[in-house]
Amino acid sequence: MTALYLVLPLALLVASCAVAAFVWTVRSGQLDDVDTPPRRILFDDDAQPVHREPSNVQALRR
Amino acid sequence: MSAVAVPACVHCGLPVPAGRGEFCCTGCEIVHAAIAEHGLEKFYALREQGAPAHTSGHSYAELDDPAFQRVHVQTGADGRCHSALYLEDLRCTACVWLVETTPRCVPGVSEVRVDVGRGRADVTWDPEVTSLAQVARHLDRIGHAAHPYRGLDRDRQRRREDRALLIKLGVAGAAVGNLMLLAIALYAGLFQGMSAADATFFRWASMLVAVPGLGYAATPMFRTALGALRARRLHLDLPLSIGIVAGLVWGTANVIRGVGEIYFDSLAMLVFLLLVARWIVLRHQRRASSAAELLLALTPSRARRVRGDVIEDVPIDAIVADDLVEVRAGETIPVDGMVAHGKSAIDAGLLTGESRPVDVLAGDLVNAGTVNLAAPITIRATAVGEQTRVGALVASIEALSTRKAPIERLVDRIAGRFVAIVTTVAALTFIGWSFVDVRLGAEHAMALLIVTCPCALALATPLAVTVALGRAARKGILIKGADALERLAAPGTMFVDKTGTLTEGRLAVASWLGDVDARPLAAAVEVGSAHPIARALAAMGTTHTATDIHEELGRGIRGTVVGRTVVVGSPAWVAAKARHDADGWVAEIVRRAETPIAVAVDGVIVAVAGLADPIRADARQAVDQLGELGWRVEILSGDDTRVAEAVGAQLGLPVDRCTGDVPPEIKLAIVEAEAGPVAMVGDGVNDAAAIAAATCGIAVSGAAEVAIEAADVYLREPSIAAIAQTASGARLTLATIRRSLRLSLAYNLTAGALAVSGVIHPLIAALLMPASSLTVLVSSLRSKAFK
Repeated sequence: MTALYLVLPLALLVASCAVAAFVWTVRSGQLDDVDTPPRRILFDDDAQPVHREPSNVQALRR
Repeated sequence: MSAVAVPACVHCGLPVPAGRGEFCCTGCEIVHAAIAEHGLEKFYALREQGAPAHTSGHSYAELDDPAFQRVHVQTGADGRCHSALYLEDLRCTACVWLVETTPRCVPGVSEVRVDVGRGRADVTWDPEVTSLAQVARHLDRIGHAAHPYRGLDRDRQRRREDRALLIKLGVAGAAVGNLMLLAIALYAGLFQGMSAADATFFRWASMLVAVPGLGYAATPMFRTALGALRARRLHLDLPLSIGIVAGLVWGTANVIRGVGEIYFDSLAMLVFLLLVARWIVLRHQRRASSAAELLLALTPSRARRVRGDVIEDVPIDAIVADDLVEVRAGETIPVDGMVAHGKSAIDAGLLTGESRPVDVLAGDLVNAGTVNLAAPITIRATAVGEQTRVGALVASIEALSTRKAPIERLVDRIAGRFVAIVTTVAALTFIGWSFVDVRLGAEHAMALLIVTCPCALALATPLAVTVALGRAARKGILIKGADALERLAAPGTMFVDKTGTLTEGRLAVASWLGDVDARPLAAAVEVGSAHPIARALAAMGTTHTATDIHEELGRGIRGTVVGRTVVVGSPAWVAAKARHDADGWVAEIVRRAETPIAVAVDGVIVAVAGLADPIRADARQAVDQLGELGWRVEILSGDDTRVAEAVGAQLGLPVDRCTGDVPPEIKLAIVEAEAGPVAMVGDGVNDAAAIAAATCGIAVSGAAEVAIEAADVYLREPSIAAIAQTASGARLTLATIRRSLRLSLAYNLTAGALAVSGVIHPLIAALLMPASSLTVLVSSLRSKAFK
């Protein structure tokens, strides 16, 4: 069981590193907006800008 | 007229009024054109629910003003500019996508990043290629009118609070995981035997994780409990804090002494779940932007000042009392004042809720925010900005919103009794067991305090509310927070605005007395005019076209249709041009509380039309349903009393419950004077103050942005039936909360009984707590609210 006296503190150290990483994530503002990113997953990386003259718009009316 | 299937608007899917082509309104038409122009049809694929679009057509010139830019625009090192805008109507995924495609549509824009919860768009652009005003104009064209984002300070503070809570949540989560692992080791040791040294090692490790971790993570609870104690108010965080502190202190003592049980794992689970509940409730709070920010949207930011012969275009802040201001036809009046020169008709809908034009002459008073319809007028300003009626209203809305008293929640009332009972029983347990052994007495008493910590109680409300809010949102009922539901659960007096809420908010031809063949003739003559009365008449439909049209603004219109002279207008004006023996008809129309419009063909009045705002089809049923739920429904309208009473009669409301001619200040006073719970339903700026003051304010679809911000509930569907559903949903949610409370109290009773009889063990506690929380979760999911 002596291994435990080494392993347990090590495990707690790893856990504190994880907490530190989480704190950094929060402080850098990545979790400020959790409403918009879920919606963004539906977007594709879309194509080039399209510019149609307003007169051509008529053709698109269904 | 033949019955035709009502066409649906190409953009939003709502029915198109006759004579309007393919779109239900100008807003939809503009937005559709903008979408097509930029090749953004994917918007329709992404969208879940159609909603009418609103555009404002502003030029946004003030956004390029150097004075504005100094305050609101930041320039980065690479020369690009950043600014934040508040966008209206930003509520769905498709809207987010549409707004974020702006860089593709407006050259020079590098990025537009949306925060949908706050309605905020952060824009980055190259000042050499484009300008903020141009971006704002594009955003307006796609249906999201922009305003300067004035909530940066408030956002910064909220962000600090949100981040602090999230960090504590993370710490608590890490603590739970590790403490549970350590606890499992100890539980395994129970059954299989563990050396004292190892057990001590694990106990110390648990203590070293729990005390700093939970002591830090639970500080929000401690702070609320102390605050409640100082204010002598009851709050559920009080028994929670007692349990947590007792657990940490007693556990530490036991670890140091080397004997006794520790409950760190259950405590950690408790703290973690409580913080999750807090986080959920925090997320419910919709963006509450300052209503004062929207004052800029209601009144123009620039005005034309007349000085002698010179007319100069100045920012609104440059206008002072006694300045002369010129307002052209179609423009919004920027100041309160008296008409110095000119005569016209005003749309005072902002303050009365009615779009029926009101004539004004020199010497009449006009208000900022109303629209000048007919002809240019010059106004001598008496009040500008926040001193105008509209400004004062908006300021009072903001004051009311921040002052809104937090309701005493159901759980808080229980908290008081809970503390009393638990501490008494703990004391008795201590005394009782002390007869056997003082140490046992202390042990059992402390165990009681710890295991009866009301975790599930604290979860009951947030879980039930989350379920309710989610379901309601899917039905188009946007509820602003947990409070709103509890506010709506106890029935009282419900004041309902008439126009737009009970009625459809537009004029339509309700009666036609006289020659029916004259209808298409009248419609033909009115087709070109933008006047609300003209639009109502044109909606009757016609195959003729009129020629030689002359419109006398505010009075009527005349033209030639199939060779006949047709004159349509107010009876007095038409009577001057034609033979009249239509007094009987006019009197009948007025008796029906409708607006009379006379139609003369070839010099003879052949018909009189009655125009009114039609009542929504489901209004009667909704009013009855609300009555059944215990609400006393009353009509409070800015329109004529006779019209309010007529509408009330059709809905089964007695005359003493229908009040008309109520200006917004009086609406507010009536709401404030009412004792007991008050709900206010409205959609206009003139309702917003009353909405803010009510116990529960409800804004109906199509509402002005100010009304939406002031309200606790926003109904996206244009249906008053949704109000009845919301009220019933609130009542059912409270029933669910009560059921959850009963279940959780049952667990507490079990745990308490075990503790008192000395049979409790950390392992049992570790099983009971998640079980109780799970039970509450299942109970919440089985809620019947908004099903």
